[in-house]
Amino acid sequence: MRLRLAAAFVLLATPVAANPPDIAAIVETHILPGYTALASDADALARAAAADCAPGNAELAVAYHEAFDAWVRVSHLRFGPSEADDRAFALAFWPDPRGSTPKALAALIKDQDAAVADPAAFSEVSVAARGFYALEFLLFDPQFAGGAAPGDTCALIKAVSIDIAANARSILEEWQGGYGALMSAPGNETYRTPNEAARQLFTSLATGLEFTAETRLGRPMGTFERPRPNRAEARRSGRSLRHVTLSLEATGELANLISGGDAAVAQAFDQALGRAAALDDPVFAGVADPQGRFRVEALKQRIDAIRQLLAEEIGPDLGIAAGFNALDGD
Amino acid sequence: MKTLTLATSALALSFGTAAMAGGHASKGAVLETYSDIAEAKYSDSLITAERLQAAVDALVSSPSAEALEAAKSAWLAARVPYQQSEVFRFGNAIVDDWEGKVNAWPLDEGLIDYVDASYGGPTDENEAAVLNVIANASFTLSGETVDASAITPALLEDTLQEADGVEANVATGYHAIEFLLWGQDLNGHGAGAGSRPWTDYATGDACTGGNCDRRGEYLKAATDLLISDLEWIVAQWAEGGDARATLLADEDAGIAAILTGMGSLSYGETAGERMRLGVMLNDPEEEHSCFADNTHNDHFYNGVGIQSVYLGSYTRVDGSVVDGPSLSALVAETDAALDAEMQAKLSAAVMALGRIKTAAESGFTYDMMLERGNAAGEALIMGGVNGLIDQTRSIERVIAALGADGIEIEGSDSLDNPEAVFE
Repeated sequence: MRLRLAAAFVLLATPVAANPPDIAAIVETHILPGYTALASDADALARAAAADCAPGNAELAVAYHEAFDAWVRVSHLRFGPSEADDRAFALAFWPDPRGSTPKALAALIKDQDAAVADPAAFSEVSVAARGFYALEFLLFDPQFAGGAAPGDTCALIKAVSIDIAANARSILEEWQGGYGALMSAPGNETYRTPNEAARQLFTSLATGLEFTAETRLGRPMGTFERPRPNRAEARRSGRSLRHVTLSLEATGELANLISGGDAAVAQAFDQALGRAAALDDPVFAGVADPQGRFRVEALKQRIDAIRQLLAEEIGPDLGIAAGFNALDGD
Repeated sequence: MKTLTLATSALALSFGTAAMAGGHASKGAVLETYSDIAEAKYSDSLITAERLQAAVDALVSSPSAEALEAAKSAWLAARVPYQQSEVFRFGNAIVDDWEGKVNAWPLDEGLIDYVDASYGGPTDENEAAVLNVIANASFTLSGETVDASAITPALLEDTLQEADGVEANVATGYHAIEFLLWGQDLNGHGAGAGSRPWTDYATGDACTGGNCDRRGEYLKAATDLLISDLEWIVAQWAEGGDARATLLADEDAGIAAILTGMGSLSYGETAGERMRLGVMLNDPEEEHSCFADNTHNDHFYNGVGIQSVYLGSYTRVDGSVVDGPSLSALVAETDAALDAEMQAKLSAAVMALGRIKTAAESGFTYDMMLERGNAAGEALIMGGVNGLIDQTRSIERVIAALGADGIEIEGSDSLDNPEAVFE
């Protein structure tokens, strides 16, 4: 059932690539702008929450959507500064198969936990109660947004927003303060050769696409007999399909840079994005009936086709294969 | 004097390794060693599971506190070879497709038996989270009435395992048996494992928890099923078995499978899913063996297992050694420095995982380590995580080095046969 593209390693002869990816350019034009936008939008989110943390605040909702968009656009770049100190997990703990997020948030409220008022202490709480997916529960789930204790929800919204902004800032600072140089100029202990840096980027690309296909789409699809629309990502704020589109745009940009503007790659992404645009099913509610499910599956097949193209042709041509990723387990 | 002893044994160790790594290691010979070790690890898993079965039979036929403790000890012993075998899982599709039957985790244990009120009820994800098969001889599952008046291996395997398509409905394997022996660990972040009373298996009025006969029936069925599942996998690795034949059919694909198994178990599975997630969630239920509090051993023997396939040597439960031409020797022929790096990283990870085990066995249990703000516990666990992540980088280098040495491109099943993706 599980696609084994990423899990099955291949040993391949390394040809001398005619046009190896320009790592420094990828850092400058793809990674740094993405994290700069995230830091800036997350900061705006924290300020909006500080100004008025009521879940119904329209400006806060706008700031939430913009910052979440910015996160999704870099969500495939899970290595180095975003992995350090578990920052990416603290920004984005999902999927959540055991319902840890609502449990952890409810516990913070029930215990009147002092960490909510103390950013340093809050950075130690469970990642399930932090980041964008926790914030979504607070802003959009009736249990919290319309709950009996609006003051508690409000205080948590502020705490989570401040924590998001701090994490986003730390990731950007680390990229600007040295990690970008390590990656752009291999020959250090992190990246011994340009090929190791290219492998990291290729792994991010492959993993980002795997996550979109298998998790963002695969989880709500469930099985034909048992579709799971309630598992759609960020469905409470109507963002499920939007995440697929944003992520395809971002990984498409990275794929274009890695492949040196390969026409087949561009076409494969265009086809997937075309399917996404035509889907008209913002939270994949359609997976519950055969017709709707077929359309979501067709989108997934387009993404699988991109993955296959990258693994079979682009990677071998460049002499790079994806490394191991966090999705390799079960 | 102490220093001298240490230095001497370190020297002996490195000589031992050098001797193993010495001589030419052909890919075919490396794959034979790997298959022999797989067969030995699964055979040991079977042998120790049969001891567990004997202890379970004794517990159910004449329940006592001593009989329950004997069964628990047998379960703990059975985990030692099994956890070392997990390195075969990723990379060998035959193993990966099978392993959910014996080692699925985490589980919503309320499916099987009574649970504490704090456990909660059915969830969005799992309507069967508190089904309690032991207390109910008949129930509705996915809209159909199920007759569970007899608890048989077939009921567990065909009806309850992954019921309603939910992975947390784990009805079979080590962790279901673990729950039946230990019960829920209600100590939170405090010391102490589950403390199921032996009287949960007692007869007549002495029975606690209700339905003791059905509980015994379930425990026996789950243990019998574990035995038949292990018998099956041993046969796959024996001479002429499918797993061995598949691996040996293509030498380059076989070497890639070894490395895939090492890297996937190191990074995504053990470092990520099983270790780091628990620290980040501060959740004692994220322990791999949360009922028995055996998580430190689960991780440690995963690390030992990864090291053992690289070095081409496994020490069996009877003390005999299975070894042969190793992947280590194969890498050394291409890049001796990289082989040394790989060996050092594997050793460092086993040491880091060993520190968790040592601390846990001296009273600082794994669930205490997971508590929010417990800096020492977090440092211990993250030491293991970082060791595993670090060795993954070297495994990637080994893959690149062996690939660069002129190994042909090898397709995976899904690449060669896109339809397989949708099977």
